Order: sequence, then C-alpha cells, then structure tokens
Amino acid sequence: MITVSGLTKTYGGTVAVDDVSFTVADGRVTGFLGPNGAGKSTTMRMLLGLDRPTAGSVTVNGRRYQDSPAPLREVGALLEARALHPGRSARDHLRWLAASNRIRTSRVDEVLELVGLAAVAGTRVGAFSLGMGQRLGIAVALLGDPPVVVLDEPVNGLDPEGIRWVRTLARQLAAEGRTVFISSHLMSEMALTADHLVVIGRGRILADCSMRDFIAEHAASYVLVRSPQHGQVADLLRGAGAEVTPVDGELHVQGLDAAAVGELVGDKGLYLHELTLVRSSLEDAFMTLTASSVEYAARPRTELAGASR
Amino acid sequence: MTVTATSSTVTLDPRRNVPGTRPGFGSTLRAEWIKFWTVRSTTWSVVMLFVLGAGMTALICATNAEWLASGEADEDPGSFLTFGMTFAQITAIVLGTLAVTSEYGTGMIRATLAATPRRGRVLAAKAVVLTGTLFVAGTVTAFAGYFAGNWFLDREGVGLALSDDGVLRAMLGGGLYMAGLGLFAAAVGLLVRHTAAALSVVLALVFVLGNMAFLLPGAWGEWIAKLMPGNAGSSVAVPVNFNPEALAPWTGFAAFAAETAVLLVVGWFAFQRRDA
Repeated sequence: MITVSGLTKTYGGTVAVDDVSFTVADGRVTGFLGPNGAGKSTTMRMLLGLDRPTAGSVTVNGRRYQDSPAPLREVGALLEARALHPGRSARDHLRWLAASNRIRTSRVDEVLELVGLAAVAGTRVGAFSLGMGQRLGIAVALLGDPPVVVLDEPVNGLDPEGIRWVRTLARQLAAEGRTVFISSHLMSEMALTADHLVVIGRGRILADCSMRDFIAEHAASYVLVRSPQHGQVADLLRGAGAEVTPVDGELHVQGLDAAAVGELVGDKGLYLHELTLVRSSLEDAFMTLTASSVEYAARPRTELAGASR
Repeated sequence: MTVTATSSTVTLDPRRNVPGTRPGFGSTLRAEWIKFWTVRSTTWSVVMLFVLGAGMTALICATNAEWLASGEADEDPGSFLTFGMTFAQITAIVLGTLAVTSEYGTGMIRATLAATPRRGRVLAAKAVVLTGTLFVAGTVTAFAGYFAGNWFLDREGVGLALSDDGVLRAMLGGGLYMAGLGLFAAAVGLLVRHTAAALSVVLALVFVLGNMAFLLPGAWGEWIAKLMPGNAGSSVAVPVNFNPEALAPWTGFAAFAAETAVLLVVGWFAFQRRDA
C-alpha cells in the first residue's frame, strides 16, 4: 500500500507535482498514466526518498521509504533512467545491491534466471540493448522479493514478447497480493495491464478510478449515420429515444445500436448511405483528458502557417 | 515461471521479508567494496599508481645516483627516494574523483541511495573503501620505490637505510597522503558532481596553483603557498623535501587533513540536502 498525500514538488518557479493525493492498494496493478513531463517520474523519485518533497508526504506501508530498515526488501523499484554503471556486469550490479540490504547471494542468480538474463550475467551492461537493460532493472526490482513493486516505464525498449512478459509478470505479482505500481505514457499498454488507473497531467491528478469505470466513462461509442433524408432520420431516431448529434452532414447516434437504427430507418422506407459503429479508443480518451496538460505539444502546421502570416 | 490463471488475492505480510535488525554499516561497506572493485577503472588506477610511483622513483634514482654521489650535487638523495609519488598523486586523484562522480555520470547514485537511503552512511562507506585502498596501495608503492631506487643509490654509496631519519615516516606518509588526496578529490566530486570538472579543479589546485602560489609576494603569499593542499600534504611523504619553504611533515599533513575535513563536511552537507 502506497499513500500519497498532498505531495508537491517545485523546481525554482516550476511546479512539477502539484498537491497530489492518491493511494495504491495491494493485490492489484495500479497504472500511473500521463504524458511525458506530467510528473510521474518526479512522484516516483519522491516515493523512493531520492527527491525531497516541497510539501506533503508519501509513505509505503505506513512509513517513509527512507525509514525502512532494508528498503529493497520492502519496495522494489525500476527507475526510468538506467541507474547502472556501463562497465559493471549484470551479476556484479545485483551483487552489490544484495549486499547492501543483506539479501542472500543466491537470490542474484534466481532473479537473473527469472528475467532471462542468466546467459549474459557476466557481460558488462554497457553492451546491453535497451530491452536487456530494462530486464536487468526489473531483476533489481525483484531482488528483495518485495511486497511493493514500483516500475517506471517498464516496457520502454522491450520487444513485443518482452512487453507481454512484463504484463504477465505484473499481473502475477498482483495476484500474489503485492502492491504493483506501474507508470506509463501509453494508454493502450495500461488498458491491458492495470486494474486501477491514476491519470496525471501537468502535476495534477486528472482521474483516479478503476480501469472499468475509466473505459465506461471515456471510451464512448456511437453509430455514425448518413442519409440523404437526414432531417427525417434524425427526428425518427430522436423519437425512438436516441441522442442524435448532427456533425457535418453526418449523424452521431448514441443510445441505439447499429442494428436498431437500421431496422427503424428501413421500416419507414428511408434511405441510408452509411451505418457504422464508431468506437473511440482509450488512447483518444486519454488524449482528450490530458490535451490541455501536455507540456510539449506539437502545433499543427496550419496554425504555424497562420502565425507567420 | 508459471502463471496462475486465477488472480485471487492473497494477503501478503508487507514486512515478511524485512529483517528485525537494520542491515548495519558492514552491509553498506560490503556493497561499496563490491562496487569499487567491479569496474575496470579501479584496477587500472591502482596499477598505474604503483607503476608510476615505484617506477619513476627507480628511474630517477638510476639516472641521478652518480651525480648525487659526486661533489657537485646540491640536492639531498633523500628527496629522490619518493620522487615517483608526485606522479602517483594523479592516479589517487582520479580514483577519488571517479568514486563519486561516476555515480552521478551514470545515474547509479539513484540505485545507491534507493538501496541505502542513509546518505551519511553511504559517504562513510565510500570514504573507508577509498582511503583504505589508497593507504595500502600508497604505502606498498612507496616501499617498492624505496627498495628499487635505493639499490641504485647504494651502489654509489649515497643510499639511505630504512632506519635513517624520516625514511620510514615517508613510506607510511606516502600511503596517508594518497588516501588524503583521494578523499579530497572525492569531496570535490561530491560538490561538483561532474567527472571532468572535478578532475580539473583538483589537478589545478594541487599541481598548477600549488606551484604558482610560491610566486606570490610577501609573508602572506608564502603562507598561502605552504598551505595549498598539495604542498602541505606532501611533506609527510618525502624523507627530505625538495622545497625548503614547505611546512614540517606532520604540521603540513595536519593542515592538509583539516582542509580535506572541511571540504568533506561541506560536501556531506550538500549531499544530504540535494535531490539525487
């Protein structure tokens, strides 16, 4: 269980994390979602006692991370930046970490086996690919067999097989009763992995709900209808209790499915030119939610052209 | 690893893995020791320290023994017996700087502080590992240089015995000075957090500014020159100082130790306060 309350971090005049409060429960995967620069990594660094909060607090199982006698046995973390010396081998990297928290040395080979790096345990990590580096980072996180696992952008640089592996691993860790907290800027990835979602944008919490609620609320679908008799069709569908929005000669219909719309229109002998079920993706929902909070947005070309005129 | 299809939640004691007693300073020390010796730069630096320190001493003694034995010599043979240590200083500085700045350069510092959030303890363990290694390496190198160099001096009849005034003190002093320099460089590294910048600062302070300071006029200038870290600290590491103006061996080393301590306290303070 991770408890974040009133957490704030400012750098000079810039507010990176702005009065953030939420909890991460055990036994499920909680996704921490936000665009780059939203404050995810800053929050995670404060969680690990690396950065000092300007205000507020973050505790793990009731106490600050830095107050744990052996933090690696309580919280396992994969940090976003590769916190490795390129000249050291994977095994040596895990060996010193194990020594620092008095974790038995045999655990080093266990986690190397677990993440699939046993064959390259003696190789200097500078020669590792991004994906191998991520796997080593996950090995570090699991070294102390911790009840709380924090992974910052774990699928970065992983191939599809690796992505699926992380997803399965996260679900399994949660099934074992552990607290699993994963940050990502990819909604699609979170939709498949997380049970619960905390969305952050510009340092503020935009949503804190179950994945199911998030989908129900944000992934709206509608039936797109095109007809030469579009006024009549709109009236007909409204009469049947549907919500109809005319958009550029199209009708966006909610409250009736495509079959019902087709049958109603057919019964009246009206023409239909198009009848499509349109599902807005979670990615879209996430984009809409965070649109105003993206720090580095690319401006559309037209806007740039207009500005230069 | 097999994956269970059910995702039934079991209760997991969050503290089940946490030992009753906090892993002590010994654990941090072991971690730092492993870290120190599992990168190539450490082995290279220590080997270079020995090769430069002992090798240059042997070389300078071999080439100057005849002149030292002749009547025209205006230097004491004792000054030559630790000559190579001047070069060995560079490697001690490199080792001390890298012990700290390589962690910042690679992002390792976050892993270090996540594993051991007590920063004072991390710093203490680093200092013990660094100074321990440099003291042993420095002392061994000084002895090796003495035995090699003195063999040439003995042949010309100007050799010094280990029991002669200041010789044994200079051997141990070589170890102490190397350890102190490493710590001094580490403290600068802690403040600057950048390898090239920290190296430049320390090398300039010890080699360039240290020598230029002797050009300063007046009593003030003389004191500044005597108190420059390299000038003050190195007296203890030579049987007879080339520089007649330098402080007495232990006085000089005490001054150097005090300077290092001040820098280390400032570095420690910054380390405690800053975000990793």
